[in-house]
Amino acid sequence: MGILGKIFTWWDGATIGTSLFSSMNGEHVGTDAQGNKYYRARKKKTVEGRERRWVIYDGANDASRVPAEWHGWLHGAFDDLPESNLPPAKIWEADYSPNATGTTGAYRPQGALERGGQRARATGDYESWAPDA
Amino acid sequence: MADRAPHPDSPELRARWGNFIWNEANQAKAKEIVARYPEGRQRSAVMPLLDLAQRQVGEETNTQGWLPIPVMEYLAAYLDMPVIRVLEVASFYTMYNIAPVGRFHVQVCGTTPCVLRGSDDLLETCYKRGMKQGHTTADGLWTLTEVECMGNCATAPMVQINDANYEDLTADRLDVVLDLLARGEQPKEGTQEPGRHTSEPANALSTLKDMVTENHDYRSAW
Amino acid sequence: MPKVTVDGQEIEVPAGATVLQACELAGKEVPRFCYHERLSIAGNCRMCLVEVKPGPPKPQASCALPAADGQEIRTDSEMVKKAREGVMEFLLINHPLDCPICDQGGECDLQDQSVAYGRGGSRYDENKRAVTEKYMGPLIKTAMTRCIHCTRCVRFSEEVAGVDEIGALYRGENMQITTYLERAAEHELSANVIDLCPVGALTSRPYAYEARPWELKKTLSIDVSDAVGANIRVDSRGREVLRVLPRINDDVNEEWISDKARFQVDGLTRRRLDKVWIRKDGKLARASWDEAFRAIAAVNAGASVAAVAGDLVDCETMFAAKKLLGALGSTLIESRQTGMSYPVDNLAAVNFNSTLAGIEEADAILIVGSHIRWEAPLVNVRLRKAAKRGAKIFLVGAEWETTFAAEFLGEDLTVLNNLPDYVNDTMKGAERPAVILGGAALANGALAPALALAEGWNLVREGWNGFNVLHMAAARMGALMLGFAQAGGIADLIAAKPKLLLALGADEVNFATFDGALKVYIGHHGDKGAAAADIVLPGSAYTEKPGTYVNTEGRVQYADKAVFAPGDAREDWTILRALADALGVTVGFDSFPQLRAAMVAEVPALGVEGLANYGALPAAVAGAKAEGRIAAYPIKDFYLTNPIARSSATMQECSSELLHGEDVLEAAE
Repeated sequence: MGILGKIFTWWDGATIGTSLFSSMNGEHVGTDAQGNKYYRARKKKTVEGRERRWVIYDGANDASRVPAEWHGWLHGAFDDLPESNLPPAKIWEADYSPNATGTTGAYRPQGALERGGQRARATGDYESWAPDA
Repeated sequence: MADRAPHPDSPELRARWGNFIWNEANQAKAKEIVARYPEGRQRSAVMPLLDLAQRQVGEETNTQGWLPIPVMEYLAAYLDMPVIRVLEVASFYTMYNIAPVGRFHVQVCGTTPCVLRGSDDLLETCYKRGMKQGHTTADGLWTLTEVECMGNCATAPMVQINDANYEDLTADRLDVVLDLLARGEQPKEGTQEPGRHTSEPANALSTLKDMVTENHDYRSAW
Repeated sequence: MPKVTVDGQEIEVPAGATVLQACELAGKEVPRFCYHERLSIAGNCRMCLVEVKPGPPKPQASCALPAADGQEIRTDSEMVKKAREGVMEFLLINHPLDCPICDQGGECDLQDQSVAYGRGGSRYDENKRAVTEKYMGPLIKTAMTRCIHCTRCVRFSEEVAGVDEIGALYRGENMQITTYLERAAEHELSANVIDLCPVGALTSRPYAYEARPWELKKTLSIDVSDAVGANIRVDSRGREVLRVLPRINDDVNEEWISDKARFQVDGLTRRRLDKVWIRKDGKLARASWDEAFRAIAAVNAGASVAAVAGDLVDCETMFAAKKLLGALGSTLIESRQTGMSYPVDNLAAVNFNSTLAGIEEADAILIVGSHIRWEAPLVNVRLRKAAKRGAKIFLVGAEWETTFAAEFLGEDLTVLNNLPDYVNDTMKGAERPAVILGGAALANGALAPALALAEGWNLVREGWNGFNVLHMAAARMGALMLGFAQAGGIADLIAAKPKLLLALGADEVNFATFDGALKVYIGHHGDKGAAAADIVLPGSAYTEKPGTYVNTEGRVQYADKAVFAPGDAREDWTILRALADALGVTVGFDSFPQLRAAMVAEVPALGVEGLANYGALPAAVAGAKAEGRIAAYPIKDFYLTNPIARSSATMQECSSELLHGEDVLEAAE
């Protein structure tokens, strides 16, 4: 994505305006495993008096790409950064994955054609006879 | 009692007991027992015959005796009755051993009068000799079971070992009995209290004193 | 006739009735678990407690208390209510509260009665008892922790089935119901304990976790697995039959059905014919109905057409076929597939004249060539009852394991010509003597000598007809009433060399003998018939069409349609009706009511539910001599006698495990 893309598109990462705003007013506090960058306002507070926080995506602007730990910080559930605030991830925790709806990775129930149409036996199913079978 | 279960059926068990038949003496006895019941009611003889079979197995194995599955099947065939009915009877009455036991089956009474008179000490004595409830000792000598009332409350506490009752026991007296048995001797049966004969009052009479000399009518005193 | 007062209502009860029966007669419901009308009285569940005066001032078990004159019975007093609550609380002490995962849920006596007669809760907070699982074979699933020790199953197998294999081991709290050494229950009626069990201790293994009773559509039907015509209820959901339960009919099946009748229904979802097949270049290929009809019409058979009816077809199908053949000008119809050719000019001679209920009353019975336990398990139950009442039973034929006292007179049929004196005397001296001829006897031509014996022993007398033929095919009596029989049996059809052969669910025919014919198979299962046919037209099984069936005693019974046939399959009569159009003839009916009306017009007996009247027995042929041997019976495997059962996984499992003794690895659950 060149500079032209940055000028004319808005679906990947920040636009030029937002980038400028972020570098001027924002403090880059951290980056998650997917490379999304998290900012907080250096001085300005919101009208309600909360700190202003935002994210700039590394790639598609898809809100579901924010992992759970950063989601909490982003929405003001806690003020400490996830690395210092949350206990380390357990080995059995799966990596965070964004919502796959609409992609090829989307969940298909058993029996869906995309999964080969093989479903569990249901009432009324029968096995038909065929010669030499 | 809850863990009472027939000894599992296995090829080894079949090989050992599959060809069980009455020995000569018991053959005659079994005939005589069956003859006690009316024609067509032979299966009533199942209880005495189970006892007889248990004793014969005991003779053959030098234990108190027990009832292997093939022996029960032999009995069922002998009495022409379904084997499940034989098994029902054998599993109902605790005096039929449906699993192997040792040379001496030590049955300690654990019902209230005996417990009050110290049957816990008797169990303790047994434990000291390596017996475990529901198990046979490694030398095959002892099998320990705690049983319910055996009807010897007047001479509690008591222990039944095979066919003999030993009453008025203490830990020491039980030790003597067990030692004698282990040596192959036959201890005195019944009460172990010196000077006591059967279940007569141990000391001076405390009740029904008027009965000593004559047949006193107590009804007016009710 | 004692007079008793039940809750202030005075009624007269039959002598020998119990207090419980008296209460029932008065219209009062008495809860019970162990009591069952058809079993002996055990009196061990204590649920039927009522207050009876005169008597001790405490509740009494009404099932075991004879009703006596002047008794004052109360089922609605405070004492009774309290007693029931107490018993129920005790029963629930050791009963797990696992109704949500229990298959009996929704049709459980304990569940219903605890709602109706129990306390709101239990005061018991100790540990509950748990019992290890018991294996009872491929049909019965057990959860013995749920058992409340009513001993109905024990009494059933001992009294009704006559195979003592279930018993109660240990005692008191430790009592456990089990089969001997946890072997499979091995008799033909074993699964009836599932119905008898008032709780979820014994449930159906093939039906496990399939459905809840309230999801099911209940259709009244008739069983076709044997010729007894047991009354059944077909429970279906959507397009699938999930289970079959017996209906109560004291004249036919009481309230039992055989394991085959109950569990063959899973065969209805396997090997189904659901499309049209036509043989092209020696191989069956898929085709359309039109193609098939054109191919049949192309043979141009004219009157050279024959029809063979199978063992499971209903009267309507056979009648439609008969009409079709009649319109074409042919009368070549036959139902005895295996080649039997006994005379059928008098149906009384091939009927079970004593009636199924009546045979219980017989006091001397001679059975010729019938393995009754396999050919009609429900008749076996009746014979056992007769034997228990003191009937002497003699059998001619290969030996099988009877469940009643009986004597085998050998395999040689010639013994009939010269019966031992004591047999003769017993039969002659009996008040209600009976003869039962099985399929093997008919095949060996024993009908005429048996009729001679019947005449000699005077089997037909005032109020008693002791001459019986026991068929094995559900369709047989109906077929004979409709004239589906040639004088020479199926040999007549073979001799006529038809150009077109309609096989109506006929799988036992030797199709090789119809070499020159175009063989059209109309049926529901891909079995021997479909494999040998040139054209396969998919029809419906007995649960998929309404129909009339006549059982071996000549009882006309009607079955309803429970589900639709799968795929392209049609009700058989519609296929025959369409075939009539394709062949350019008219058969005179366009709808099922019209068909049934036409059938009843021709054979009026089929229009009346109940016993058909076949008139008197024919006169015996003088000098009829029995010959031959019955070394084997037609049924080689009880569980695999018809195409439905052969397709059923459950029946195959039963066959391999129970009859052939193969160890079936239990699937880990």
